[in-house]
Amino acid sequence: MLTVLSTQRARAPAAGEHALRVRGVDFSYCTAASDSKALYSGFELDIEQGSVVALMGASGCGKSTLGKMMARIIKPTAGRIEWSPQFSRRADVVYMDQHPMNSIFPWQTVRGNLEYPLEKLGWSDLECHARVAYLASLFRLDGILDSLPAQISGGELQRLALARCLSWRPPLVILDEPFSALDRDVKTNIIHALHELATKDGMTVVLITHNVSDALAIGMRYVIIGDRPVRTMSDMEFKSPHPRERGTLDYDTMEKALIACIRDGLV
Amino acid sequence: MPILTKPLRQPTRVIAPLLLLLAAWAAVAGFGLVDPIVLPAPWSVLHAVSGMVRDRIVGDIALTLGRVLGALAIAGAVGIPVGLYLGYRQRWYQMVEGPLHALRSIPASALFPLFLIIVGVGETSIVALAAYPSLLVILVNTVTGATLANKRRLYQAKLFELSSFETITDIVFYEALPNIFDGVRTAASYSMVLVIAVEMFVGLGERGLGRAIYEYQATYRIPEAYAAVIVAGAIGILLNLVVNTLQNRMLRWLPNVHE
Repeated sequence: MLTVLSTQRARAPAAGEHALRVRGVDFSYCTAASDSKALYSGFELDIEQGSVVALMGASGCGKSTLGKMMARIIKPTAGRIEWSPQFSRRADVVYMDQHPMNSIFPWQTVRGNLEYPLEKLGWSDLECHARVAYLASLFRLDGILDSLPAQISGGELQRLALARCLSWRPPLVILDEPFSALDRDVKTNIIHALHELATKDGMTVVLITHNVSDALAIGMRYVIIGDRPVRTMSDMEFKSPHPRERGTLDYDTMEKALIACIRDGLV
Repeated sequence: MPILTKPLRQPTRVIAPLLLLLAAWAAVAGFGLVDPIVLPAPWSVLHAVSGMVRDRIVGDIALTLGRVLGALAIAGAVGIPVGLYLGYRQRWYQMVEGPLHALRSIPASALFPLFLIIVGVGETSIVALAAYPSLLVILVNTVTGATLANKRRLYQAKLFELSSFETITDIVFYEALPNIFDGVRTAASYSMVLVIAVEMFVGLGERGLGRAIYEYQATYRIPEAYAAVIVAGAIGILLNLVVNTLQNRMLRWLPNVHE
């Protein structure tokens, strides 16, 4: 269905370099026998280590459910979620909730929120301070370190949640709509920050979003899901270098392809 | 800001109705509309205070307040940790829920004779009787709060591989805190009511504000009885104010507090 210039079908990655594998997963929110079809039935997806994968689809298509299953927050009714054997700690795979308040502690200050995971994961005070200072400047939280989450704006809250999720350099992060509350200028900066961290720390990023331009700003691979039960509508790569400009032929072609695929998946 | 601190910011709104009530009372008494035995004039109640001080009323107040605070301390020290644990490990709560609600439906004052048999007359039985329903109400509220803890936020406990103890002290406690305060506020008035009631009926030789009210009434020192009742009310208001101040300080982080 897609024969586009610089986009190409993702090759099947070689075994052994996966951050995550979804194997034959079934899932349904309705436990009783009901008229609605299962959300997931025999779903498969492999995520290569070090890749930035945009997991896309229309609202309500099951993106967050898949993200939560990947992070082992909810259990599939059948099938397996395989994490790379290199992930030895639970904190090696983190899921950032689409509601940033759920990924932070509202009773702690911004600083406290950034320090807490590091303390619990055994970082020394010195490392912890340096990391918090670095993250605060990268995510523009410098001025509000001593504020409570209830006192800061929605955009600041989202930046805090994102900074906190990335603070201990988890090798796999699953981010559910992490830029939804950010305005355009800040978003560009934060996407750069995320890109910097992901490249520097060799993170694998799964970006769950329905926003095509957010996905195009950072992604390497685009998995579009839709239909019911959910299937992969399209799986594409986009290797254009960063930062990417709207208006180039590659970008516009990719954008059109993504939008068309997402529309195809509407139930 | 929560509604509870508003009266402090606008004192006229609190004081004006009270003054109005006082004026109505003075008018009723001044025009002799009611027998002074039933309702003495405000000035005779005020006049009674000097006599009450001679009767060591200050000691009585201190004693009653001490008992109330003692009962609350016991109730909180047991109710909060146990409630947090039961709310966190809901399987345990399901086991004790039935008996707990059965106990809660027995009026605490009806248990007083039993308490007297078990622990005897004295300080222990007064405090124990007041602590008992306070404990239950704090416990049930704490369990509710802990049960309502944000599941998505509890994911962080799994993520950082927290122990049960850390999960409770670092997350569940804060999640339950608004409900804990609801429980403590109710418990404060329960304790106050029960301590006064028990003091009234515990018999001769005992002291306390309840005992003083009872004795003034029994000896027809009606202005003194009224004054003592007003003092009891004032202590109740004061307790509530302390709980509110503490609540506003400890729940500063709640999102709606700043809206």
